[in-house]
Amino acid sequence: MKRDPREVVRDEPFVRPRLIEALGEGAMTVPELASATGWPPEEVMAWVMGLRKYGYVAEEPGKDDAGYYRYRVVRRR
Amino acid sequence: MTSGGNAGGGWDALVVGSGIGGMESALKLGGMGYRVLVVEKEPSVGGKMILLSKVFPTLDCASCISTPKMAATAHHPNVTVLTDARVERVTPKGDGTFAVKVHQEPRYVDTSACTGCRQCEMACTVAVPDQFNGALVSRRAAYIAFPQAVPQKALIERAGTSPCTFNCPAGIKAHGYASLVRSGLYEEAFNLVAETTPLVGSLGRACYAPCEAACTRGQLEGPVPLRRLKRFVADTHYASAPSRPVPSLAGPPTGKRVAVVGSGPAGLTAAWLLGRKGHHVKIFEAGPEPGGALRLAIPSYRLPVEVVERDIANLKEVGAEIVTGSRVDDLAALRREGFDAVLVATGTPLAAKLGVPGEDELSGVRPALGFLREIKLGQAPDLSGQSVVVVGGGNVAIDAARSALRLGAQAVHLACLERRGEMPAYEWEVDEALAEGVELHDGWGIAGFVGDDGQGGRPGAVRAVQLMRCTSVFGPDGRFSPTYDPQERSELACQLVVVAIGMGVDVAAFPELANGGRTLQADPVTLQTALPWVFAAGDAVSGPSTIAKAVGQGRRAAHMVDRWLAGLPLDGLPSPLPEVDRSSVLARQSSHSYRAPLAPAPGAVPFPKDFAETEPVLTEDEARAAASRCLDCGVCSECHQCVKACPAGAIDLDMRPQDFELEVPAVVVSTGYNLFPAENKPQYGYGQYPNVITGVQMERLLAPTRPYNSVLRPSDGKAPERVAYVMCTGSRDQTVGNPLCSKFCCMYSLKQAQLVMGALPLAEVTVHYIDIRAVGKGYEEFFEQAKAMGTNFVRGRVASIKQVGDGNLVLRYEDVDGGGGLAEAEYDLVVLAVGVQPNPEAAGLFAPGKLALSPYAYVDEPDEDLNPAATGTPGVFVAGSASGPRDIPESVLHAGAAAAQAAAWIERSRRTREAMAL
Repeated sequence: MKRDPREVVRDEPFVRPRLIEALGEGAMTVPELASATGWPPEEVMAWVMGLRKYGYVAEEPGKDDAGYYRYRVVRRR
Repeated sequence: MTSGGNAGGGWDALVVGSGIGGMESALKLGGMGYRVLVVEKEPSVGGKMILLSKVFPTLDCASCISTPKMAATAHHPNVTVLTDARVERVTPKGDGTFAVKVHQEPRYVDTSACTGCRQCEMACTVAVPDQFNGALVSRRAAYIAFPQAVPQKALIERAGTSPCTFNCPAGIKAHGYASLVRSGLYEEAFNLVAETTPLVGSLGRACYAPCEAACTRGQLEGPVPLRRLKRFVADTHYASAPSRPVPSLAGPPTGKRVAVVGSGPAGLTAAWLLGRKGHHVKIFEAGPEPGGALRLAIPSYRLPVEVVERDIANLKEVGAEIVTGSRVDDLAALRREGFDAVLVATGTPLAAKLGVPGEDELSGVRPALGFLREIKLGQAPDLSGQSVVVVGGGNVAIDAARSALRLGAQAVHLACLERRGEMPAYEWEVDEALAEGVELHDGWGIAGFVGDDGQGGRPGAVRAVQLMRCTSVFGPDGRFSPTYDPQERSELACQLVVVAIGMGVDVAAFPELANGGRTLQADPVTLQTALPWVFAAGDAVSGPSTIAKAVGQGRRAAHMVDRWLAGLPLDGLPSPLPEVDRSSVLARQSSHSYRAPLAPAPGAVPFPKDFAETEPVLTEDEARAAASRCLDCGVCSECHQCVKACPAGAIDLDMRPQDFELEVPAVVVSTGYNLFPAENKPQYGYGQYPNVITGVQMERLLAPTRPYNSVLRPSDGKAPERVAYVMCTGSRDQTVGNPLCSKFCCMYSLKQAQLVMGALPLAEVTVHYIDIRAVGKGYEEFFEQAKAMGTNFVRGRVASIKQVGDGNLVLRYEDVDGGGGLAEAEYDLVVLAVGVQPNPEAAGLFAPGKLALSPYAYVDEPDEDLNPAATGTPGVFVAGSASGPRDIPESVLHAGAAAAQAAAWIERSRRTREAMAL
């Protein structure tokens, strides 16, 4: 069941520590991060882009062969 | 440029809207020397164009073209821009001018101080979809609209006061500490509560939580457990904070001395806040320990002594002194001792009496306050094997009954006038008392007490309580006026009676403040008494209330005393924004997923043996999960992190909306268009399938200030290899009531196709179209360029879109050039080239019918060919796509015409008025 976008975005501060913790193991693509956390990829995408916007994560240069970027932690709070 | 306050007067023209059309009209009129007021509802000028990636057919950067125009509009000497403002009504006055009502929302940021550093945004704890990025990414409640916004100033989105905060009598920002806990900022959450009161731990346990009763989430699975969150932050703070705090929060010394008489919730709160203001505060407490009811009345299973003592220890941080065993009954003496002001907050220490036979004569009949006080002071009687009757139906009676059980009573009877549903005690407290073993005798009055005869001058001991059936508690006027049936009687054998039927103010101590009443008399707003230097607050003024209300009174008193000491008028206590309507909060979302509330605390245990706390503290995971259920009703949570983060001190949450009126000779309506809501074509799956996006969202993905790092799929961040465009989504479509062509969808899709291929060189782009309308200078060549770059064109309507594995989408479409049959194709990403619709706000500017509309609800131009931009209302002109779909060059051209028309009208009407004046 797809959640309302407002509800997904509202969860960003709540999920942030867990996403950052997971990325602390190493850079991941969105599907990899979704697999690691158990959260839907679509929601993880929204959260990762929010973390990227606010300086918590950044993408590594270049895409992998499947067309995905990897994201890594650049700031811990 | 201004974003707040009155815009002044003497305007020649009003321009409504600051998109490309509005800016062009304003600049043209300003350039002619006319004074122009631009009213823009958004926090920035620029309209939709500033959010585009590039413009067709030149592929120039949209921002590069827009921003100079935005800056010119904002800084033109003849143009004033009001952002965050709405024109409520334009009314022709009959003399060729218009009366205009404007409503301006506050930004809650002093734009003259804001430097646009975004520190507030980085600190904000509330995330909402970023409407300026097609909701593809979050923004914060405190934010700058977009990187090129003009003005480049922050604003805070506030929908009102969240119900939890609005309904807290103490004035604690409940939404604020919930959002801080959600973000893992527990110390900040503690400090936010401590901005109001030092009693964080006590309120986290003993407050009856009106915030939770008001919580919007309560209309779903249950309220956010705000009280328990407060306890969590208190316990977390106290676990690491020094147990003996040092003065660190006291404000710069003012040299003023304040005496606080009474150390209950009102007195402690006032002392705390006055200390933070830099006043030297001394608290006089008549009892042996400070804390009032918190320390001496509320049983430890609800509020442990050590928690109250730790809360009170906070007072050391503001340098407040506390003296116990010091009864004050001479206020003038305090004045003589050098106190500049006195606050009396002595609560309700007296117990009400039944006035029935045996009450005063028999031993073993005692008031609840004394009973509870002895327990809290470690002098609890041993009630083993005894039968106890508690008289009363309120919370104090429940506390006494449950305490008696813990002292070993064999049986505890609770007798009250009210029937179960009428009892003033909270229902859950009654439930827990019954679960612990209290026997309820509801609907009974006390006829008297029976006891032994006294011996040797000693009073007799109570042996039984005589009950008489209560037939009604309240009279027809709703006032307390019990009636009884003397024929129906009963008796309860007992060795102890605890009477808990009410509490009273010790008015005898301060006759000069009581004025013959049953409470101390003080102005309800200023809390000032008849003696100007004496203020009174809390239950001593209001009568018995709640801890939160007493805290609220203490907060108010501190504010007023501080103002009085400074010689300022006794006002200025900020009032909250109106309470957010809960139904509007729920309506923000199309659906609400189930968020499991906390499991209830362990149930009451029959015949408990000790006073250990019954409710466990939340774990960190529980607290954060519980806080994450908050719906952010007010949007801004008032967590005050932006206030602390702003280096310029620009945040001002006390700003309020302003309404003002002005007069103008001419009006230019430039309200633009609305985009077709793609959800209205459900067969295309927008809103259901994450990889179906609109053309506007693709503009953002392609823009230099894009929400993602590249053009990626919203479903999983993959760079799409096959992208489809579905033309005419919501335009040329009778099924959605819009037969009109939106005029520029073809061109922006051709533009995007080229840009996508530039951003993703390996991507294939296919355009599903009816026909390509490339009518304009260089447009046909642009079409050819798109084809030459490899864009695929498939002629025919798209029937439906379905999602398949991994978020891919299968389009079922008509293939006209391929034989006319139905076909299917799979894509990674589908872009709906949504059309435009009229903006109904244009007509809403005027009284119904006063601004003529075209058959398709755009602003009508009766003589569009020869008299462009003139509407059916003399003096009112239309610029840009408010009158119909127009691309950017056309809008600019049309806005120039509107400016010329307005200038001519201004001159004509001026001469007419001058002639009439002669």
